Amino acid sequence: MFLEYSISYKAQNSYENWVNDAHWQFLIIPEENDTQEFISVEFNNSINAVNQHSINGLGFKTIRVHPKQKFKNISFNASFKLIKKEVNPFGFVPSPDIEKDYERIHDLSFKVDFEPFLRTTYLTSLPKNNERLFVFNEEKSIFDNLQNLNYFVFKHLYFKTDVTDVETTLDEIIEKRHGVCQDFTHLFCALARQNSVPARYVSGYLHQGNGYFGDSQMHAWAETYIPNLGWVGFDPTNNLLTSIDHIKVAHGKDYKDCSPLRGVLYTSGENKTIHSVKVFSQQQ
Amino acid sequence: MLARVANNLFWMGRYIERSEHIARYLNVNYFSSLDAPNEISQSRQFVLRSMLFMVGEPENDSKKKLNEEEILYKIGLDPEFSYSILNNVKSTRENANSARDLISTELYEAINKFYHFVLNYPAESFMKQGLFDFTVNITEMTSILRAKLRGTLLHNEVYAIIMMGVNIERATQVIRIINSKYNDALNAQGSYGDKFSNSYEWSTLLKCAESYDMMKRFYKKTPTSISTLEFLILNPNCPRSIMNSLNQVYNHVKVLDSSKKYNKNSTAFLIGKVRAEYEFKYIEEIEEDIQSFIENILESLVKISNKMEKEFFDY
Amino acid sequence: MVNTENAIFSSYKRDPNLNDEIFDKNGNVIEIYKKLLKLYGDHSINDYVNLNTKAKSSFFNQGITFQVYSEKSTQEKIFPFDLFPRIIAPEDWEIIESGSLQRSKALNLFLWDLYHEKKIIKQGIVPMELISSSINYLHQMMDIDPPGGIYNHISGTDIIKHTDGKYYVLEDNIRCPSGVSYVICNRTALKRALFGVFNHYQAHTVTNYAENLLDLLESVKPKGVDVPNCVVITPGMYNSAFYEHSYLAKTMGVELVEGRDLFVENDFVYMKTIQGPQKVDVIYRRIDDFFIDPLEFKPDSAIGVPGLFAAYKKGNVTLANAPGTGVADDKAVYTYMPQIIKYYLDEEPILNNVHTYHCSRPDELKYVLEHIPELVIKPVDEAGGYGISIGNRLSKSEIEQVKKQVGQNPRKYVAQPIMSLSVHPTYIDDTESFEQRHVDLRTYTILGKDKEFVLKGGLTRVALQKGNLIVNSSQGGGSKDTWVLKK
Repeated sequence: MFLEYSISYKAQNSYENWVNDAHWQFLIIPEENDTQEFISVEFNNSINAVNQHSINGLGFKTIRVHPKQKFKNISFNASFKLIKKEVNPFGFVPSPDIEKDYERIHDLSFKVDFEPFLRTTYLTSLPKNNERLFVFNEEKSIFDNLQNLNYFVFKHLYFKTDVTDVETTLDEIIEKRHGVCQDFTHLFCALARQNSVPARYVSGYLHQGNGYFGDSQMHAWAETYIPNLGWVGFDPTNNLLTSIDHIKVAHGKDYKDCSPLRGVLYTSGENKTIHSVKVFSQQQ
Repeated sequence: MLARVANNLFWMGRYIERSEHIARYLNVNYFSSLDAPNEISQSRQFVLRSMLFMVGEPENDSKKKLNEEEILYKIGLDPEFSYSILNNVKSTRENANSARDLISTELYEAINKFYHFVLNYPAESFMKQGLFDFTVNITEMTSILRAKLRGTLLHNEVYAIIMMGVNIERATQVIRIINSKYNDALNAQGSYGDKFSNSYEWSTLLKCAESYDMMKRFYKKTPTSISTLEFLILNPNCPRSIMNSLNQVYNHVKVLDSSKKYNKNSTAFLIGKVRAEYEFKYIEEIEEDIQSFIENILESLVKISNKMEKEFFDY
Repeated sequence: MVNTENAIFSSYKRDPNLNDEIFDKNGNVIEIYKKLLKLYGDHSINDYVNLNTKAKSSFFNQGITFQVYSEKSTQEKIFPFDLFPRIIAPEDWEIIESGSLQRSKALNLFLWDLYHEKKIIKQGIVPMELISSSINYLHQMMDIDPPGGIYNHISGTDIIKHTDGKYYVLEDNIRCPSGVSYVICNRTALKRALFGVFNHYQAHTVTNYAENLLDLLESVKPKGVDVPNCVVITPGMYNSAFYEHSYLAKTMGVELVEGRDLFVENDFVYMKTIQGPQKVDVIYRRIDDFFIDPLEFKPDSAIGVPGLFAAYKKGNVTLANAPGTGVADDKAVYTYMPQIIKYYLDEEPILNNVHTYHCSRPDELKYVLEHIPELVIKPVDEAGGYGISIGNRLSKSEIEQVKKQVGQNPRKYVAQPIMSLSVHPTYIDDTESFEQRHVDLRTYTILGKDKEFVLKGGLTRVALQKGNLIVNSSQGGGSKDTWVLKK
């Protein structure tokens, strides 16, 4: 099955005082991959500044904006159209030799190749007494363990908006047991890495037609590397394997590598930003 | 050349020139007042007020008794007063520092010596007996800087930018000095039948601009209001006159803007226009309303400076 | 007392336990210094007092200064310069030069490997922790092929001469090694003060550094650029090394820019000039990795250029040194240098490494904690001599303090036996006489596309405080003109 998606992204920024110099970098364009095929991308801003298409340090598509005039209000509108292909997440042959898979992930060469996604970062660092919060059962396959981990994270945390932010670390999340998709994903990645499975943080859009959690902004989930299977997506916020509803934008070690909007600007006083994301689909 | 660095060089030129004029103004006014022919011109309070007026900090309370040491310190060495000679020299060096790779070692060394001289000048002795020594040293050191500018820099765009700063500042300071002394001449009227037009203050004015000898040579008469103003504003051969400064600014901007095309938005066009206006003025016109003349020319100089900023330094 | 009829050295106290570079064990003058000592002997100590004062004010007037930051204020200081030069014999220099070059080349290949296949780690020659626990290992640099294959275009190697008479490397600096301008200024200053001595020695010139550097920068231009436009980028005039940045720009004849002078458009870099934007192709950057681009690294960096990294990644501009070189000048990497040289070049190291204990390894940590009085403890990621503890200088309570610090964060520290740096006669202001002071040497190596150059000279740094082993300028060190004699 194929779905045709149209996604709209809006950001409205307003400032108390004039902004004379500002740079923004948007990381919001869906990635092109095996299951995502591009139709169109449109991007504009309210003050007609030039939009420059570029890449970030990890090679994902970005749009940079650097207005040449001063302003107090600026809004950005993006709309993307793409075709998403459905892949059955369970449509693979189960691993013939579980032991070998574990051997593989403990192999030095494997660890070196996947070093970035095994690394503990500031946002994926487990508090000392919680390092064994979830331990793999090596009798079962890596895939099964990850599914259990997905369920564990889903159950362990309670979805609640506005209680955490992009700087919240795992000690607080584990202690208070609540958060949003970023926090679920950070915890999932941390525990997968703790069990030697490479895990990367993914940002993207979620089609919410099915009543899934994920606020009306961008969504986050994880991808883990499983020997013989490759990268497999898990959405711990919804206890799902990623599917046709997940439209990927970028991945990285944690949120910091994927933040949809980075800005450098020089102004004083209050400022306000409103983001909104809408995802529509149409069966092909 | 980088736009930011060009801006710094422009201001370096301005600060060098500014320090010189302030120093000389202090020196000339203070020392010529000591034996001035009338009581007002001799009054220490009168001189101190004139100094404050010149640096843009006029004392409005006519009854207030000014403290000589305080005023001298403020204008000479006060790090808190942005127009002080110390701060001008600091800014000179700061701007030179950022363009160090573009200016000659000789010029930089001279600026650096200048800076250390001012920075290390003991404030106590400056206020009590060092005024003459300090101000003479400043004016001599700025002469050295002028010579280093002229003699150790390639006469290219770097030189042109600095010289535009120097000349715009010169025109500005000479106008400010004229304004102060015009004000003094008005205030010093009355005693001993000393009229405004042949006030002692006109000689002081010429000395403040180092133009007294040149003027005497040219007119062979005691300076009057009209001959002094004519000489300092309109005489293109007097190196301190407004006209001469404008001519130089015009020549230097040509180095930066070599386009032959007519462009009414360019800095070169604006400078040319202002220059042409003064080239064909006569002094009687100016004398009718000196106050508005002073305001107009200052406004034109600010316009030129702003236009330069937009065209060359906007970064 | 030393065996010399020389007036200015008559009160020179020689400690027999130290390796004096100009006197042998019996107090006899070493051959290459004989003439120099005789020439200096023609002067009285008063002459030196005068010359020294003059040399100081010459540095001051030229503004060859650096800023020292303290809590209260920023002070402008001159880098103390000693009038008695250090001489390096041609045969010694051959070892130093080939050794420095060998290390720089090996480090360059090491960096290429770390940012591509990582074979040296996969083969277990260096441990994975070197990259996985290093914040200086930049994932953004993976699979980027820098022009000419060069990462560490400019390297500074810190070398000492031990009591055994052999040269040891203390540190490889491959981020933004500084100090080269002082090498040239010291030569100029000594020529001004004592030009006569140069007639009797054939020393290599040091003024050819800038032309070689420019040549190198041009050799690593991006693809498709004919005549590259090179610039030097500085954090600004309040940076302690600003004099050097402006010196290098001036002598290379290129623009000295700050971040705000540059902008990126469509992934190309431009500088803002009075004639409008002008494209920039090669940037010799004296800004640390994390500050070069606020959109990619530290968002609060006010000295970087937004979008610069994307332009670099697309191959439209060259950065020298390349971002991410810091991973290899980590002090923990240093200890693997013999293996790294062997692995990439199949050569034995020419210069010795000082044995290093890794506090991250439990058995070595144990040794370190038990032997602190015999060791130098260094944090692995600090530059400028900060945070170094020298064991035999610590009081009991200080030792406990260090133990606690190291125990809490063992990965952060390495330890080395206390090396005895050689000493050199140095004029001391306070006593108005020559005294023994410890010295080291920083060499400057540049690598370009099919080009290499080692400056024949280098910065001899002197620890001006008696007995002190830390020679960094920020820690009150001075320097000497260094002559490499022609064969």
